[in-house]
Amino acid sequence: MKLQQHHLQDLASGAAFLATGGGGDPFLSLLCAQQAIKQFDAAELISIDALPDDAAIVAVGSVGAPTTSLELLPSIDDPAIAMRAFERHTGLNIDAVVSFEIGGANSLIPIVAAAAAGIPVIDGDGMGRALPEVQMMTYSIAGISPTPSIAVDYAGNTATFEGITVLEYEEQIREFAMARGGMVTTVEFGMNAGQLRSCLVPDTVSLAISIGEVLRIDRGDAAQLIDRLQPLFAPTPYGEMRILFSGTVADVATSVVGGYDIGFALLRSDRDPTKQIKVDIKNEYLTVWDGPKLLASVPDLITFVDTETGQPINSERLSFGQRVTIVGIGCPPHFRTADALAVVGPRCFGFDFDFTPIEQLLA
Amino acid sequence: MRIGIDVGGTHTDAVLLDGDDVVETCKVLTSADVESGIVNVLAQLQEQSSLTASADSVMIGTTQFTNAVIERRSLRPVAAIRLGSPSGRGLPPFVGWPDDIAKAIGGVTFELEGGYLYNGSILASLNDTKVEAVVDELRRLQIEAVAITSAFAPMNAAPELHVKQCIRKALPHCRITMSHEIGRVGLLERENAAILNASLLHFSDHVIDGIEKALANAKLTCPVFISQNDGTLMAVSFARQFPALTFASGPTNSLRGAAKLTGLNEAIVIDIGGTTTDIGVLRGGFPRESNLVVEVGGVRTNFRMPDILAMGVGGGSLVNADGLSVGPKSVGHKLVKDALVFGGSVLTASDIAVAAGQADMGNTSVIKGLDSKLVSSSLNVIEKMLAAGIQKMNPGKTQLPVILVGGGACIAPRALSGSIQIVRPDHCDVANAIGAAIAQVGGEAEKFVSYSDMSREDAIEQVRHDATLKAVSAGADLNTVRVNDIEEVAIPYMDNGSTRIRVKVIGEVAELNAKTKAASAP
Repeated sequence: MKLQQHHLQDLASGAAFLATGGGGDPFLSLLCAQQAIKQFDAAELISIDALPDDAAIVAVGSVGAPTTSLELLPSIDDPAIAMRAFERHTGLNIDAVVSFEIGGANSLIPIVAAAAAGIPVIDGDGMGRALPEVQMMTYSIAGISPTPSIAVDYAGNTATFEGITVLEYEEQIREFAMARGGMVTTVEFGMNAGQLRSCLVPDTVSLAISIGEVLRIDRGDAAQLIDRLQPLFAPTPYGEMRILFSGTVADVATSVVGGYDIGFALLRSDRDPTKQIKVDIKNEYLTVWDGPKLLASVPDLITFVDTETGQPINSERLSFGQRVTIVGIGCPPHFRTADALAVVGPRCFGFDFDFTPIEQLLA
Repeated sequence: MRIGIDVGGTHTDAVLLDGDDVVETCKVLTSADVESGIVNVLAQLQEQSSLTASADSVMIGTTQFTNAVIERRSLRPVAAIRLGSPSGRGLPPFVGWPDDIAKAIGGVTFELEGGYLYNGSILASLNDTKVEAVVDELRRLQIEAVAITSAFAPMNAAPELHVKQCIRKALPHCRITMSHEIGRVGLLERENAAILNASLLHFSDHVIDGIEKALANAKLTCPVFISQNDGTLMAVSFARQFPALTFASGPTNSLRGAAKLTGLNEAIVIDIGGTTTDIGVLRGGFPRESNLVVEVGGVRTNFRMPDILAMGVGGGSLVNADGLSVGPKSVGHKLVKDALVFGGSVLTASDIAVAAGQADMGNTSVIKGLDSKLVSSSLNVIEKMLAAGIQKMNPGKTQLPVILVGGGACIAPRALSGSIQIVRPDHCDVANAIGAAIAQVGGEAEKFVSYSDMSREDAIEQVRHDATLKAVSAGADLNTVRVNDIEEVAIPYMDNGSTRIRVKVIGEVAELNAKTKAASAP
């Protein structure tokens, strides 16, 4: 499928839905993708199965503090500059690109790269949602190294990272981003299609476009809109989707701890005023508590939508008095193995309990 | 003694206030040239009260500039100069604008090195040779209006000021808007606001000249202020430079007017007009602001705008013969001709209100034959719509009281289900003009700071100082300026307590306050 202009807006809103409150506002990435397609050509979206095992693939995206790009704008040739530098450094010819995470702004960066380089973008990603760190990608969990990696700053200067562990890389790339204005574009995870096939969360780009389409066409009452979204998830590796709660935001308290926007939101039920729901936040929505009872936790997906319009609400924009509906979705099986839960489970976010799948919590 | 004037799409309203007391109110039709509508309304006000001539100040709210952008009229071409290269390659000024308005305003853009990073270090140094080349090009193209935007200008505006000076020296007649004067953090949105403002400067001369002529005609020599979108005032000389700051001042004034008329600071305000109903929320006597990005005529901006729910029901709404639907179609300003009670042939919400005994207008005998079931079922529809709107906007656990204002307020039922307290203040039909009349002068400033570099108190004090300077330059009395709102937003992924601080201050109008003091001096 050729990704045309009209797909991009839907992809951006679908990506905001899958971002579970984090992932950064996709607006600037959307503008970049729209301009890139205008300037170059529509990018081809392909299934991983369309590629031979030895095809060379890289993951492309942005790293840093999304708030800083409100002023330090991204450039539409950043991803292409990083890819060319990667090819020079490794001697590889890149055949296709793939996304870090489908949730939020990074869903659209590979399209900018693909349009500029004239290569296809793979339908799928390394998270199936949004998560904050590089070791949380399914690529890394499968044992693929993010390095050698090329990062490009706002001025088009590149830096190379190699010979380090994934955790060292996570620390160094973030330092580099902060030293160079707050946001950088990176090309990471040089891999072949055979490796990617084993760990890709498949078809998430086309899923996000379909979600965005429903959000646009069926904009309105959240419960009805969720009914129309449900069938989209049925053929995917995601688990069941259900409404966890509907009510009003009574309090939001977040502060920056260790570089993250950490805090919680309290919600009051519309039907039963004595019922109080608490949601922990670390950029993304991480848990939903009904009193002492856990209803869902990371890495299962927790998404807030506006009760009247059904549109997703980013955690930065959550505020007192908003009427919201909380939706829980079982995460792809990639995140439910012991190896995966060791890097994306509740304990990795500072909670003192192990992961229980949403379908067991609600049983 | 102050005069408040609201220049709406259909009516121009005026009120005369003595302190908190409403002395007189009047309403005339808005004229195409704005000026004669104001001349007429002031003449009528003068007729009703001779005190009009002794007013200490005049406050005017107008939708002229919002409408100009929405209708793409009276806009002039603008050269957009951005200082942020080498960032933002491929995202030039006017990116993402609707084609028609980009065509009306756009075309000439320049992207030069300049601006700062989040931590205060230089993004790229200004290149004076390139700046001179831009000036030459502006001269060659005979550009009349320019918008200058540099990266992180709300933190450090030096590059914008420098380029403005270079243009000013060479082209003294060129009109210039600098982004830091008009918008907050968010480069594209701030740049858009600066461009829209620059393109309105010519029209602004026309409108402000008209206002000044109308006041001179009425022999009013007192200071004149224009309402801004956040419910504060700017001096008329300031408004001439910043017409874009009037966007959305209409709903803000009606909310502020409702607070004044009722003394309620926490309430839901329903402003029922001829075609639409705007529902907003008062918090601490000021409108609750929208969190979302606000588009004006399809252009993304980040102006401070009230959070408004607009619904398609008003005094002129068409009522279906089965009484099961009201609006969204409306006879609008033709109500005084088309409604049944005015001798027309269209059944409107106002006719229903008259039939139900809620309003007294026109010829009431013609609607005596209306089916009482039709009347009660239509009222029921209106009640359901208003109740749904109230429920959507009510912020917390407790139901806030509801204030009804606007020319179409009579169509609302006397009571709403759920024992909601409804307040219908006197003079509710001129709430907008009252909102304009009672407004104060405000100022806002914003900075990215790191609490590891300076204490929270010092940082807030710095931003408060900047906001105060802005308020005073807009006409506030320094001694009365106080903090209205402080917003701190922590920045994710930054491990050093990096925070965005925004401070809003408000104060009394300087001249008015001086007079009050003089009057009360022993």
